[in-house]
Amino acid sequence: MDSESNDMENNSSVDIERKIERIIYQAALALDKNNWADWFKLCDDSFFYAITSFSPEISKDMTYFSGDKKELTGLMEMLPKHNTDHSPLHRHTSVYTIDVSEDGKTAEAVSSVVIYQNMLDGINSHLDSGESRLFVIGKYHDKFVIDGGEPKFVNRETKIDNRRLDKGSHWPL
Amino acid sequence: MDFAENNPNGSIDRDQASVSEKVAAKALDQAFIEEQKRIFKNSWVPVCHESELPEPYDFRTSSIGNENVIICRAPDGKINALLNVCPHRGMLIERRPQGSFLEGQASGNPKRITCMFHAWQFDMRGNCVYVAREKEGYQDRFCKDDAGLRRLRCEVNFGGFVWVNMNDQPAVFLEEWAGPAFSSIQSQISSEPLEVVHYHKEVVEMGYRQLMSQSLSAVDSYTAATSFDYGHLVTRHGKADNQDAAKGNSFPSPNAETCTSVRIFPGFTFNLDGPTLNVSTITPLNESQVMIEHRGLAPQMDNKESRHLRSKYYNNKFGPFRLQELSEPEQNESDPVKVNSWYTHYNDEWLRWMDKHPNGETRIAELPTSRSKEGELDENSGLSGPHIVVIGASHAGVAFVDKVRKNGFVGRLTVFDRQVGGPMERPPLSKGFLLGGGETVESKSLLRQKKWYKTNRIKLKTQSNVEAIDTKKKTVTVSSGDVIKYDSLVIASGAIPRELPDAQGMGNAFTLRQPSDANAIRQAANNSDTVVIIGGGYIGLEVAASLRKKGMTVTVIEAAERILARVASKPLADRLTKLHEDNGVQVLTGVGVDSINAEAGIFESVTLTSGEKIVGDMLITGIGVFPDSTLAASAGIETQRKDGGAILVDEAMRTSEKDVFAVGDVALRRDQLLAIESVHNAQETAAVAAAAVTGSITPTIQTPWFWSDQYDVKLQSVGVVPINDDDVYQVARPGKREGAVSFWSYRGDDLVAVEVVNDPATYMEARQCLDTKQYPDPEQISNPSFSPIDSGGARS
Repeated sequence: MDSESNDMENNSSVDIERKIERIIYQAALALDKNNWADWFKLCDDSFFYAITSFSPEISKDMTYFSGDKKELTGLMEMLPKHNTDHSPLHRHTSVYTIDVSEDGKTAEAVSSVVIYQNMLDGINSHLDSGESRLFVIGKYHDKFVIDGGEPKFVNRETKIDNRRLDKGSHWPL
Repeated sequence: MDFAENNPNGSIDRDQASVSEKVAAKALDQAFIEEQKRIFKNSWVPVCHESELPEPYDFRTSSIGNENVIICRAPDGKINALLNVCPHRGMLIERRPQGSFLEGQASGNPKRITCMFHAWQFDMRGNCVYVAREKEGYQDRFCKDDAGLRRLRCEVNFGGFVWVNMNDQPAVFLEEWAGPAFSSIQSQISSEPLEVVHYHKEVVEMGYRQLMSQSLSAVDSYTAATSFDYGHLVTRHGKADNQDAAKGNSFPSPNAETCTSVRIFPGFTFNLDGPTLNVSTITPLNESQVMIEHRGLAPQMDNKESRHLRSKYYNNKFGPFRLQELSEPEQNESDPVKVNSWYTHYNDEWLRWMDKHPNGETRIAELPTSRSKEGELDENSGLSGPHIVVIGASHAGVAFVDKVRKNGFVGRLTVFDRQVGGPMERPPLSKGFLLGGGETVESKSLLRQKKWYKTNRIKLKTQSNVEAIDTKKKTVTVSSGDVIKYDSLVIASGAIPRELPDAQGMGNAFTLRQPSDANAIRQAANNSDTVVIIGGGYIGLEVAASLRKKGMTVTVIEAAERILARVASKPLADRLTKLHEDNGVQVLTGVGVDSINAEAGIFESVTLTSGEKIVGDMLITGIGVFPDSTLAASAGIETQRKDGGAILVDEAMRTSEKDVFAVGDVALRRDQLLAIESVHNAQETAAVAAAAVTGSITPTIQTPWFWSDQYDVKLQSVGVVPINDDDVYQVARPGKREGAVSFWSYRGDDLVAVEVVNDPATYMEARQCLDTKQYPDPEQISNPSFSPIDSGGARS
């Protein structure tokens, strides 16, 4: 392989990493807006989502929530028929690592995520609405398929540190 | 109970302060403090599951009523609960939620609980084992043996949960308190070992009672609900929601399609729902916040696929991201409490504990006490009405006074006991007690603490031997010379161990009945290497197991052709014989004792009828007991024989004298051929007599049960195994756990008794079969997949 093709490959790899970074931030924006359609556009048909946590209390890895694209779509349709907290969530995400496979067809990324909640409804919205508070901390462990130079989510594991989860949200984090 | 479902719009705790800061800030609320003190510190609380501390030296921390508790597993596998506070300066010791003491920490040695402040160290039973600069700093003013972490009442039961009661003398035993409520799901949750696989907690923004009100207000919509004593409630409803998930993957049979919720007062709910078991426990934080912990449990033996299906189902029903059905707007704090019959049931119990019940009913009677002229506390002072005198503070005697008070008796109660100290628990005397090294009988072995007698206005006179009964004058004469008048007399004098004439008065030769006997054996064992035990009954075998565990060389001599010849089936006896032999005990059967030999008045050896001589440092005789009825016989009360035997009683435990009752080992009903010597019999007969004295409804007598611990084997039996009955046969049923087995004794098609080894779930099923007279098919019972309580398999 000559130096020119090495440069092209390096440029291509950097380009992919930028695209992956961008798609993670786009996902955060879509999720902040509860814009599920836009979020799903970033995901492959084989996409699988899970919220997990490790509990030092019982020394176990746990899955709090999981579903494929079909199940998630069903959930979004059902949500309006159920009670939920409508306080908006704001995700602060920092992409830490991106690893693109040697063949350039897949990639994995780890991002830190801190989610704040801006209170809207609750016990006494007269007092509480407008206040912002820390909701959840954790990391995104994402996997991507890269097709035609464009990455799409195939798996997201939202690994949260919280085990105290008061009532409030049923949305994917 | 999914408390959160009843608080659908409950929101996030939005106070930025930590929970502990808020607890401290709001702890001044008086009602909250009263609830903590009166209810939560006196209730049995499921603090964690045994799977959360699976290995020796593992620990878990929790809190009850703002008191920090540490639960740890001792090297012998036993789980203990201790106050997580150093007795030195009152500092919190362990701060992690869970972990292990096996490895050393920065401020602690391996296998020790160490306070980081001054390095005092404690073992897994809470004993203080190290005090820094003990001799230099304290000289003889203090000894570490006098310190120790406060040990709390702790039991593992109902699916492997660890239950702790902050009260050393709970108002009621755990089994009695919650057993009836759990009976509907006990066989499912105990059929195989479980583990906690899901855990999360939440804080709801409402007070404890408000939460209970909201939770119970939903019960009316359930298809069936049953209330139980002590404020418990069991609800059942519908089919499990997610049939696909439940299908073929039900929680250990047979509850695939029904949700059963066992709601234990004051707020612990076990939801058996399709393929999942959810346990929600509440911890009030202050007057307006409650923390709820949610645990999801699954069988340890689950394969990956089953575990995944259960997890999906669990998350949909109980997980933190579950969906909530749209429902009525929630109640505000200012709204009146919703009332339905189930809330009333709960509230009645709350009122009893808070001493506010309109009928004066109470769970914690803190009645005033007064002092006699001699300055001695006189619990009978100020009371009027009939006087009941009880002779003997055995299990039966203490159970009687307990029951008679609970039946509403408000007159005077006096108990005479010839023993020193308070009445003791007898079963541990031949088991764990002998393994201890102390020189005194521990107060934790007391049947009831002294405070209990004061609280219940029971005058306990220890070291007081009743020497005569006059049934005409209705008096008893006590060793002090006092003549005490009674209105009703209850004889609970128990039984006396049989002794071999050769061994009487011999040094290092013992029988075992009283705590003083156990203490003497324990002291002698500490200075002995070998022991000879005459008698292969339960007492002899339990002592053999305990002393073998202590490292002694043990020989058991049984004259009959097998051990337990009078009380157990042959298959069980064979199994226990092998158990003892595998543990290094020499078991000799079918051979008698020709002579017991002493040297300088101290036991030296036993010569068998075979001529063989067994040498030992100490001798223990366990060849049965005879009723202690001399006093009754002397008073003209009818006994089995003119010269003694059991006191004969009717169905109400009334003797030939209408105002005299007999309970426990000393009594024998005229319509029965055989006396049953067990704690169960003591408690049952005491309850019957208490009902007769107070005119209450006679309780239903349960099928007799019995238990024994030998090495790591737990034996439980229910029913009485007929001995020398050629029509009786046994069928062995393998258990699901390794080493578990049960022996089902039948006469024809009728089940008469079941003996269970290391299989509590089968024991519960067997009890249910015998209590309800639903006898499983003997031809199928050996099949472990056949359910004995399944209506399809049982026949009456």
